[in-house]
Amino acid sequence: MTQRIALRGIVEGSARGPILPSREAISFLGDVDIRSGRVVGDLPSVRGRSLAGVVLVMPYTRGSAGAWRFLHQLFRHGNAPAAIVSGTLPDPSVVQGAILSGIPVACDPAEDPWPLLRDGAAASLVVVEDRAVLEIGT
Amino acid sequence: MDLTQAERDMLEGREGPARERAMKGLVQLGRAYGAPRMVEIGYAHIHAGMALYLEDVELMEELASIDARMAVPASVNIANADTVNWRATGAPESLARLQRRAAGAHARLGSDCTFTCTPYWAGHWPTWNTHMTSIESTVTIFCNSVLGARSNRDGFFAVYAGMTGRYPLFGYHRDEMRRGTGLFLVDAEPSGPSDFSCLGFHVGAAIGDGVPVVAGFARRPTLDELDALGAGIATSGGASMFIVPGVTPPYADVEAAFGGRDVPAPTRIDRAAIDAVYARYRDAHDAIDIVHLGCPHASWEEMKHYARLLDGRRIAPGIELWITASRNVRNAAAEAGLVARLEAAGAKVISDTCPMSCHFARTVSPDPALGVVPPRLRAVVVDSVKQAKYVRDMIQCPVLLTGAEEAVETACSGRFVPRGAP
Repeated sequence: MTQRIALRGIVEGSARGPILPSREAISFLGDVDIRSGRVVGDLPSVRGRSLAGVVLVMPYTRGSAGAWRFLHQLFRHGNAPAAIVSGTLPDPSVVQGAILSGIPVACDPAEDPWPLLRDGAAASLVVVEDRAVLEIGT
Repeated sequence: MDLTQAERDMLEGREGPARERAMKGLVQLGRAYGAPRMVEIGYAHIHAGMALYLEDVELMEELASIDARMAVPASVNIANADTVNWRATGAPESLARLQRRAAGAHARLGSDCTFTCTPYWAGHWPTWNTHMTSIESTVTIFCNSVLGARSNRDGFFAVYAGMTGRYPLFGYHRDEMRRGTGLFLVDAEPSGPSDFSCLGFHVGAAIGDGVPVVAGFARRPTLDELDALGAGIATSGGASMFIVPGVTPPYADVEAAFGGRDVPAPTRIDRAAIDAVYARYRDAHDAIDIVHLGCPHASWEEMKHYARLLDGRRIAPGIELWITASRNVRNAAAEAGLVARLEAAGAKVISDTCPMSCHFARTVSPDPALGVVPPRLRAVVVDSVKQAKYVRDMIQCPVLLTGAEEAVETACSGRFVPRGAP
C-alpha cells in the first residue's frame, strides 16, 4: 500500500530512493562528511548514516551561509540525497544548493508524516511548481 | 511572481541559455520566499570557484563557456590559494594553477577578479539603497550596516543575480526587515578591530538571525572597527545586518532604528563580556607556527598600522607572520612602501586567500590529483574572532585570539601575548 502526502514544492524535480528519517535538523556545513556522504555531526537518529541517494526527511534545516557549497559538494562526490523533505521552509542557502544540484525539495507537509516514515522504505518525491507529493511505500 | 517583459525574455531563453538558467533559479528562489517581483541590483559579490573543492572551478568555467556575462559590476570572493605568491604559503603549484583557471573564467564573465572577502577596500562601495547580492556574509553585513545597501546572505545565486541584474524581493531588500529586533548598550570602550570583533561575536550569539541595534559608543567607530564588528556578528549568529544609530543609514537614533515600534529594554555589554570572547579562543599549545593579521582582508589603513607596529622589529625564528589583504590593497600598499617595511621585518604579505581558506583546511574535498596535504600546525595566533572560529573548525589546530598589537609582539617574541597584557 502506498501513502501519499501533499507538501509545498520548493525546488522542482522528481526523485526516488529509500527514506532516511532524521529526528534532528541537519546542517550540511559541518554535520556531513563530503567525501563519504556520512553524517558525522552529533545527531543521534542518523549519525554514521549515508545521505547518498536517500529521500532525506528532517524537521527543519540548520542554517549556514555555506550550506549550498557543501550540499553541492555532496552532489559532485556522488553522495547527495536524492530528495529533501523539510518540515519547515529550508534556509535560502540550502535551496540554492539544491537547485544547483538538481535535488527536489519540499516542505510544510499537509499532515504529520512521521507515523508513516519507515527507515529504508521506498519513496518518491515529485515537485511541480509549488505543489509536491511524497509517496511512501510500505 | 510578477515578472517584467525583460525578465520573461530571460526566463524563456530569448537571452541565451546562461540567463535562462540563472533566471529560472532566481524565480524558484523567489517563489520559495514569497517574493512578489524582482528588483534590479546594482552590484554583485560572487563566488570565486574554489580550487579546494571538487569541480568547483569548473562550475565557473562552465558558465563562461555558455557565454554567461555579468550584467552589473561584480567583485569576486576569496579563493583557496595565492595565485601569484603560492610558494610563500607552501601550497602545491597544482592548486595555484587550478585557482588561476578561475581567474580566467572571471575574465570572460566580466567580473573584477578581486579574490577577496573585503571588496569594499578594493573599491567596490555600493551606496545607500543599492540592491545587491553577496556570497560572503561579512560583505553582506558591511554593505547593509555601514553603507546602507540592501543584501541578503546569499550562496551561489549571487552569480545568477549578477548575470541577470535581478534578485527576488525578499529578506533585507524589504524595508520591513531593516529594523532592530534587540538593543545592546556598550558599557565599555572597545578599541581596535579585535575588540570590535569580540563585541560583535557576543552580540551575534545573543541576537541569532535578528537585527541588533548597538549603541552607547563613547566615540564613532572607525571603518575598520565597523568591519570587524560585522564580521564578529556574522560569525556567531545568522544576522545579516546591525544598526549603529548615527552611523547606519538612515537611522539617526535608537527610536529610528526600531522603526516606530517600542524600543526594547537594553542588554548591557561590559568589558568582561568582550574579554570572555578572547578567553574562549585561547587553546593549550606547545609552540606557535603562524601569527595572522588581516581577517577580513586588511584595509590600506590596517596595512599602515601593521607597518608602524613592525618598523625596526624582527619576527622570531620558526614563526611566520601572515598579513592577508586583497591584491588591490596589497598593490596600493606596495606603492606606498608599506609592503617593503612589512617584509623587512620578516612578514609575508599574502593575497587571494587566508589561513582558513587555503590548503591548511581539513574540511575541504579537493581533487586527489592535486596532491594537497594540509600541514600539521601546532598553533595559529589571530586578531579576528572569525578567523579564530574557522581555524579551530577547519584547520583543526589550537588557536589563540588577541589584538593586532599583541599579535605582533607574539610574532616577535615567540610567546603568546594576550590582549591587554602590559
